[in-house]
Amino acid sequence: MKVEMKVDYYPGDPGEFVRVDESKCTGCGECAKFCTRNVWVQDGKIFRPKNLKACVECGACWNVCEFDAVIFEEPKGGTGVRFEYG
Amino acid sequence: MTEVEYDVIIVGAGCAGPAAAKKAAELGLKTLLLEKSRTPGEKNVSGTCLNMAALVDPDLHYLMKGPVEREITEMHSYMITPERTTMFRETPSEGLILLSIRRDHFDAWHTEEARKAGAEVRLATTVVDIIEENDAIKGVITDKGEKLRAKVIIDAAGVNSIVGRKAGLIPKRKGTDMILYVTVNVHLGEKLVTERFRNSIYYFLAPQTQYKTWPWAFPKKDVVTFGTGGYLDDNLFKDGINSVNDYMQNLLDLPVIKEKIKGGKIASWGLHLEFDEALERRTRDGLILTGEAGGFVIPFLGEGMVEAFLTGIYAAQTAAKAIEANDVSAAFLEEHFMEYYTGNVFLQSFRYVADFNKKSILSMPDEEIAAMMQNVCIGGGFISNAIHYNWMKGADEDDMSLVQEAKDFYEFIQPYRQVGSESVEIYKKMRAEK
Repeated sequence: MKVEMKVDYYPGDPGEFVRVDESKCTGCGECAKFCTRNVWVQDGKIFRPKNLKACVECGACWNVCEFDAVIFEEPKGGTGVRFEYG
Repeated sequence: MTEVEYDVIIVGAGCAGPAAAKKAAELGLKTLLLEKSRTPGEKNVSGTCLNMAALVDPDLHYLMKGPVEREITEMHSYMITPERTTMFRETPSEGLILLSIRRDHFDAWHTEEARKAGAEVRLATTVVDIIEENDAIKGVITDKGEKLRAKVIIDAAGVNSIVGRKAGLIPKRKGTDMILYVTVNVHLGEKLVTERFRNSIYYFLAPQTQYKTWPWAFPKKDVVTFGTGGYLDDNLFKDGINSVNDYMQNLLDLPVIKEKIKGGKIASWGLHLEFDEALERRTRDGLILTGEAGGFVIPFLGEGMVEAFLTGIYAAQTAAKAIEANDVSAAFLEEHFMEYYTGNVFLQSFRYVADFNKKSILSMPDEEIAAMMQNVCIGGGFISNAIHYNWMKGADEDDMSLVQEAKDFYEFIQPYRQVGSESVEIYKKMRAEK
């Protein structure tokens, strides 16, 4: 059985709840390394959460960023990832 | 518009939140429970099984009336090396060890219980910030821009809680304090789950399937949940492992598992962080952190929900005391909250056992971990391991303080060790009342 990232989302725009602080990002890439969903993508010298629609809100990127460059907030009420079976 | 002020606002309807809201409402407090999902339990939650030994606590009996997926009566531990697969089967004499649950069903039920008790519940409402005045937490701000004030805020919003982070109590964490793990739910249908997994939980110790933790399988009604991962540090990815999904793939490819999930399909996938050390501080003026937000979780032992339920309840009791005394200072909250917490024998013994065993595992090479796990499996689990290790080491090195420590702990956990059959009786009674 192949591991398949079967994820469901609520309808509705969650907003830009993950962002990069461009002035703090050093381009080290830790955020991308620990992101299982490939949300973070290199863009020149820094990384951006370009693929935010794939985010499952685990918070690994915020925790591993030593430069406080990851802004990790909350999706709007009733939007974002929806887990079945808990 | 007049501002409504609550006695308590609770952020998050996972395990701790509804428990806190129900208790606060029962104590006569004007209570508001806020939850960002449309149905509680559908956001990023951790925890799938309720520990029967812990549910013996009278504060938690009512949880046995909730929606249960499967009554777990057995435990299988597999130790797998390239040479052989060894399986240990444990059938506790009390019969019932765990209740497996679906969080989207259970948390929704629990939230409804809080509402029935008199708490106001608002779903699909995200807290985006806190209201802070003169160094005290006075309320929260929602994604709709509402400013909601309360005498005490109870943070029950999980490992990455924005409340705890904005209040400066939850720092960034990685390394050996933080676990990143992946889950998959394999759908087999009720008949096949029962045939192949029976009412047992499974642990697996096998190369390339985990990093300093161990994978598990918990059967629910029609799906089986598998989980694995490891500590969030640079060694998480090495030797061909580039993602926690690779650990999961290797796990599902183990012959013993492959056979059991044949014909099934992946119904859902999840990714979670768990923090497994105590936070430095759990309170500020007007604020108490509970559950995973407060670092009240023991992923090492697969325990988190019980700590969350209890700390939620204790936070509500503390808030009631503080409001009555007209003192919501951090000092008052901390003193009373921790008094409840340290008075619970289950929580204290689990914390001790987890700390001890985690320390051992982190300091051991893989072969020694395997040997220790063998002892844990044969010798009656992690509790016995903690006692036995100190006792033997003390005897070996002629250090009576270690022997005494083992003896003291053995005495301390006696009430917990005797709860087996009692829990089954309480369970039957609660299900009959349901």
